[in-house]
Amino acid sequence: MSRGHIVMQDVVKVYDPQGAAVMAVDHCSLEIEPGEICMIVGPSGCGKTTLLNAIAGFHEITSGRIVMDGELLCSTEKPKSVPGPDRIVVFQNGALFPWKTNLDNVIFGPVMQGKLSRREALDKGRAMMADAGLAGVEHNYPGEVSSGMRRRVEIVRALMNDPRALLLDEPYRALDSLTKSVMHEALLEIYYKNKVTIFFITHDLEEAIFLGHRVAIMTTRPCKPKKILNVDIAHPRDYSVLTSKRFRELIEETNEAVHEEALKAFQAGEKEG
Amino acid sequence: MKKMLSNPVFWRGAVSIVVFLVLWELGARSKQWMAPEFFAPFKELLGAMGFKKDYLPWIGAVPAPSAVLQSWIGVLGDAGYWHSWYMSFFRVMGGFLAAMIIGIPFGLALAVSRVAHGVAFPVFEVLRPIPPLAWVPASIIFWPTQESAIIFITFLGAFYTIVINVLGGARSIDVRYFQAAQSMGSSNLDMFRRIVLPGTLPSIMVGSAVGMGITWEVVVAAEMISGGGSQIGGTSGGGLGFFIWNSYIGGSYEQIVVGMISIGIAGYLSSELLRWGGRYATPWMKAR
Amino acid sequence: MEAALRVGAADGAIAALRETTPFGDASEALLQRIAAIARPARFSAGTRIYSANDTADDIFVVVSGRIEHVFKPEVGAREAHKRMTRGGVFGWAGLLLGQTQRLASVNATEPTEALRLDTEELVKLLESEPLEGPLIMERFATMIQREFTLPALLAQVRRLSGPLTEEMSSLRLTMYRLSLWLKSPRPYLMLIGFALFLGFWYMAVEVWKLPRFREMPGVTGVVKEWFSPEPTYGLSIYTAEYYQHIWMSVWRVAQAFFLATLLGVPFGLLLGWSRKFKEYVFPVFETLRPIPILAWVPLAIVMFIATESAVVYLAFLASFFATALNTMLGVESIDESYVRAANCLGANQWQVFRHVIIPGALPFIFTGLQISIGVSWFSLVAAEMVSGQYGLGYVINTSYMMVRYPTIIIGMVTLGIVGYTTSALVRIAGDYLMEWRVRELALAER
Repeated sequence: MSRGHIVMQDVVKVYDPQGAAVMAVDHCSLEIEPGEICMIVGPSGCGKTTLLNAIAGFHEITSGRIVMDGELLCSTEKPKSVPGPDRIVVFQNGALFPWKTNLDNVIFGPVMQGKLSRREALDKGRAMMADAGLAGVEHNYPGEVSSGMRRRVEIVRALMNDPRALLLDEPYRALDSLTKSVMHEALLEIYYKNKVTIFFITHDLEEAIFLGHRVAIMTTRPCKPKKILNVDIAHPRDYSVLTSKRFRELIEETNEAVHEEALKAFQAGEKEG
Repeated sequence: MKKMLSNPVFWRGAVSIVVFLVLWELGARSKQWMAPEFFAPFKELLGAMGFKKDYLPWIGAVPAPSAVLQSWIGVLGDAGYWHSWYMSFFRVMGGFLAAMIIGIPFGLALAVSRVAHGVAFPVFEVLRPIPPLAWVPASIIFWPTQESAIIFITFLGAFYTIVINVLGGARSIDVRYFQAAQSMGSSNLDMFRRIVLPGTLPSIMVGSAVGMGITWEVVVAAEMISGGGSQIGGTSGGGLGFFIWNSYIGGSYEQIVVGMISIGIAGYLSSELLRWGGRYATPWMKAR
Repeated sequence: MEAALRVGAADGAIAALRETTPFGDASEALLQRIAAIARPARFSAGTRIYSANDTADDIFVVVSGRIEHVFKPEVGAREAHKRMTRGGVFGWAGLLLGQTQRLASVNATEPTEALRLDTEELVKLLESEPLEGPLIMERFATMIQREFTLPALLAQVRRLSGPLTEEMSSLRLTMYRLSLWLKSPRPYLMLIGFALFLGFWYMAVEVWKLPRFREMPGVTGVVKEWFSPEPTYGLSIYTAEYYQHIWMSVWRVAQAFFLATLLGVPFGLLLGWSRKFKEYVFPVFETLRPIPILAWVPLAIVMFIATESAVVYLAFLASFFATALNTMLGVESIDESYVRAANCLGANQWQVFRHVIIPGALPFIFTGLQISIGVSWFSLVAAEMVSGQYGLGYVINTSYMMVRYPTIIIGMVTLGIVGYTTSALVRIAGDYLMEWRVRELALAER
């Protein structure tokens, strides 16, 4: 049984159809293999977040279909999918509840769904946090730890629910480059243990090629895959990949495409999405 | 206009206001429709609970919207009514302006100088919980004219809010603006003029909006308590607060409600005026 | 001689430590202990004090002179070059999680005197100070992040091992902060402020007898009256009547406030949570809200047979509007991401409401409650002045009418004290319920 196999067919999203009619997504079709890390790269405001929101269930689509593991998420007839723990989002600015401790945040999912008793959840939560190198901050509030740590806690919070897919919306955008590279390795470590499908939006090409199995480069708004790159560097990867010859070659191949779209977006005066 | 009429949100709001008015009308007339024998046991129940028997509790004593409207139309032609508007507006503006003129520099001084803050703020904080109205007798004793006494109270009401907002605004100016200015060689005075002042303006605007609301409360109260100044009978002279009080004493309950609604409208107008001025002074806020 | 020299040196060390960010507010006792382990060092101009990647053993405190501090580029500091003079602290890399090597190279650009503190010794010393130790580490962390612009992950300061570091209760923290406050110049400035105020009042009324001021009650008169067992006008801290009035006002405000909170918070939550509800109800709410509370007085007297209910109703009304509005704003201000995250994690609508909406809106709700109690007092006093029996507003009004001027001031001051206390109680309740926010704000403190 495939887990986290997402198929997007001909997805169209038009905002304010009776008014300004802004097309954000233009007949986008993309297939994400189960257990794959699929990176979506594109300039700001191009509509990639709209795609993520459609999969997650925060926005409606105007037409098209999105299916996960054979189950329909949304379509022209049923434009909004229902958010659920099978595809969990990790947000750009972080969405850990500031009023709960890190541990309470982490166990939130299973406890709310009634899948685990509180005690069981606490045990599992502590174990998973320790696994991710977060032992010691269980009883702190998110506001008390660094933003890098917060991201990791958020990912653990998602993984506690054994999701089929993780949807990451530029999660490391606000972090400095030093922290980012540490976060990348942390994410890969977690991925190697859990093999969950990852749908990762970013504007950073290097991040995309470093992490992803495949990189989909999107056009500026309305977005649509412009070029899909197979990153044939073997997993498991570590930071030495960044200086490898193959990595540089892949960047060269795709840089022009990305730059082209970025320039178009710049000239169109895109405001950050 | 068409957009407004086709908007369901507008209709929902309109419906609820209409429902509200209808309920009010019914409640106010309860004396009439509760008269027949049919309601006798209900009336006994009311009496047993300690309420007046003849009409619905609370709302039964209130004049009906239809009566209020009638009264209002009558009053519109009365010069005294409009004079009350003028008097209240005059006091509100006077006190509010005084509060801005004194309060903003005071707040900025406290924000900028730690010594000034250490000396003045505790006294300020100790005096703040004393409601402005508690100052009325002291104000009347102190100030030569009743008018100045009322304006002083109005001033107090807005003063506290404005100072607090200025302080809050100054504190929240991003440290990096100062650092950027310093690295570009600004003097302290320069930084004050170009960073602190404009950076605090949005908070001042918000503070003013709240302060304006308080100012109206205070004006009305002060007018009611201190008799409103000019004792020319009827509706003239004392401002809208006095207008209401006078209507009460004169037994014209409909006019009470007319006065209440008038003040509501006046308050709304002055807030709009302020917001408009604020937009003019802080054009960059539009982009938010 | 040597002892005296040592003492002299220690005083100099303590003075230098006082000017640093981490140790600036430490107690005299702790500073003495730190000074005891500090070793003086001298560097001539142009000396390299240490280089990046050297072992990070000592922390340095600049006593005089000037040094230049340059981070190695891998560190990613926003500003790699930094100059420090007296009060500067450098060489703290050993305090960071996972760091044993120097992150920067440091040169003395002028002849420099400094204090060296062995990192491990300092840590041990701080571990033995259950109250001050962690606070000083916090100050280090803040200094490192703020003044040295290091990225957050790198600037993780080691946690001190030892009993109380995680569990420092809010009470002890408060007591400690209080003791720190008493040692700062602030309480003295405050006294100066009050002295100026009272002094001016005294002089203006009783000594200089300035034109408008001489009619006012003087400070001495008020104080004498307030504290006299046989007050001329019948109200002092010794009379039962005084407390009766206080109690009446407080009781009324309490009723109004609790009723307003009970009705206002759910009402506000609903307004914020349900768009439909807001569309139906908010227009009526916003039409009634701008009507000044006092404008209701005559109507309230007509509506409520007993004056007592009318007075409480007025205070309630003011409170209700403030509470409901702020609660609504609180709900509306909650970042959408939180609700979405909760949905993703499988929470149903009720769970979202309970675990996200209510805690998320709580800060705003409490701000609203503080405003609400202030507004409640405001309306109450006005109502009492117009139509009350008993109560502080009544006292002020009748004192004026009966020409008992000192009592007016007594009433005003009492009002201020009581009003402030009730406000503070609300704030404390809020701080207690929202510990997470207090901690977050403390860490962000300037």
